[in-house]
Amino acid sequence: MEYLLHILIIAGIYIILTLSLNLIVGYTGLPALGHAAFSCIGAYTSSLLALNIGLSPWIGLLIGACVAAFSGVVIGYPAVRLKGDCLALATFGLGVIVYSIAKNWVSLTRGPMGLPGIPGFSILGFGLSEIWSYLLLVSIFVVITIFVIKRIVNSPFGRILRSIREDEIASAALGKDTIKHKLLVFIIGAFFAGIAGSLYAHYITFIDPSSFTVMESITILLMVIFGGMGSISGSVVGAVILVVLPELLRFLGMPSSIAAPMRQMIYGLLLVVLMLKRPQGIMGAYRFK
Amino acid sequence: MLNQLLLNGIIAGSIYALIAIGFTVIYRTVKFFHFAHGVVYTAGAYFAYTLIISLHLNFALSFFLAIVLAAILGVAIDRLVYYPLRQQKASNLIFLLASFGVVIFIQNLIQLIYGAQILTIRTGPIKEGHHFLGAVITDIQILILAVSIILMIFLWLFIQKTKLGKAMRAVSDDPIAANVVGINPERIILTSFAIGSALAGAAGILISFETNIEPTMGFSALLKGIIASIIGGIGSIPGAVLGGFFLGLAENLGIWKISAGWKDCIAFAILIIFLLLRPRGILGNKTEKKTI
Repeated sequence: MEYLLHILIIAGIYIILTLSLNLIVGYTGLPALGHAAFSCIGAYTSSLLALNIGLSPWIGLLIGACVAAFSGVVIGYPAVRLKGDCLALATFGLGVIVYSIAKNWVSLTRGPMGLPGIPGFSILGFGLSEIWSYLLLVSIFVVITIFVIKRIVNSPFGRILRSIREDEIASAALGKDTIKHKLLVFIIGAFFAGIAGSLYAHYITFIDPSSFTVMESITILLMVIFGGMGSISGSVVGAVILVVLPELLRFLGMPSSIAAPMRQMIYGLLLVVLMLKRPQGIMGAYRFK
Repeated sequence: MLNQLLLNGIIAGSIYALIAIGFTVIYRTVKFFHFAHGVVYTAGAYFAYTLIISLHLNFALSFFLAIVLAAILGVAIDRLVYYPLRQQKASNLIFLLASFGVVIFIQNLIQLIYGAQILTIRTGPIKEGHHFLGAVITDIQILILAVSIILMIFLWLFIQKTKLGKAMRAVSDDPIAANVVGINPERIILTSFAIGSALAGAAGILISFETNIEPTMGFSALLKGIIASIIGGIGSIPGAVLGGFFLGLAENLGIWKISAGWKDCIAFAILIIFLLLRPRGILGNKTEKKTI
């Protein structure tokens, strides 16, 4: 039972990541390959604040998300000026740089040794030690994320995003500041990814750079594409299926030295098959142009 | 110290240049980022490992066979994944993501077969290197330099002098016009994948003589290759060579003052500066700008 709840919590965190990336990739059509960098920044910020100055994880989560959003400006600023393959490559590169900083700035992040003993969330002095209470917390954040993203994409702002996706030159010709909108999308996406990273850090209570590799970014992107580009329910379904599916390998009695590469192989094969057969995903409305 | 760093830069640069020209040969004909080029490099190293350590073949024969196997792998990736996508006229990004899928699949397949730990091909005792202008160079490093320069010259002659090379240039300049004069584009794409993958395989084998091999090695190597070909001027073979050496030197001189872990950071910082300020690279011409 505990194991099942754990899987649900991880799925919830991935839903937040997938939704926030879907806003960038699926709704605005920007192929960003460095999403794990934002959750890395969120996770490290709130963990370091909690460990070094004993800040409450609640405030840490908010600051972490804000720092991630700020990094969205830094990363988005060069990225939104590029197009297509170039944008993909640049965001990918920025993802590698953030990972590399987390790994090499040993005096701050302890590098590959990671940060152990990150405190969990607590309410009025009572720690959320029960796993179901943590699931409740993650669920609340998932609901908030779904609500906010839904409001964004159904607003006039969201319509401009979709117009940028369909034809950037046309929407610029109609007087929309496309650079500003693309940058804002990066900031919003980074903010939610920061929340997800911080939730992850305080739940697992240990983080190291290997949780935020570029392969992790590709996995999140795979969830977006699998569920459906530009579809909120698609993102939820995509994240849940792709978190739960590899766990089934465990029930086949595979040792983890085989199960871990098998899981990745399934992801790789799935990505190829999706691109060949259904590039818009199971419930998507958009495919890369 | 400076001489040693320069020498290390040149040796790293020659490997990057080999990967970059292989990548460029493929990019010129298909015009998308073939990320799976990196796993062909990894596969080359593991083919060499299997042939030398498990099958006890000699070095020269294994080198040749491993290159052939790498070329076959490259062609197989094209036939199984990219060919159906070409039939659907898929966009560049779909090709790029599909190649990521191939990377993840093959890299983990290698990990499943050989395990995640590092392996080494080096069998004999480690010899002391030769002293040269205050720097130390080992026999294997001389071999790497010599073989990569020979391969680069061969490729250059092939592209410039042979009929097939001319056809490859024609397809890269204007695929429709090339088709009109009777060049079969599929045949040229196949040739490009074979040659490009053979070069990546060769780079992987050479590096496997020098250092340890692991399933994830191809990823950062490929990124360096792509960065090298972009800063040299995407689609230009001399540019890829220049970019490779430039990147190798920049990385190795960069760590003169800071720790070696920052190499990737330096490489990507250079990439992003180039993408923003000079996307056509050092040698790229102005009209190519729209392709990237």
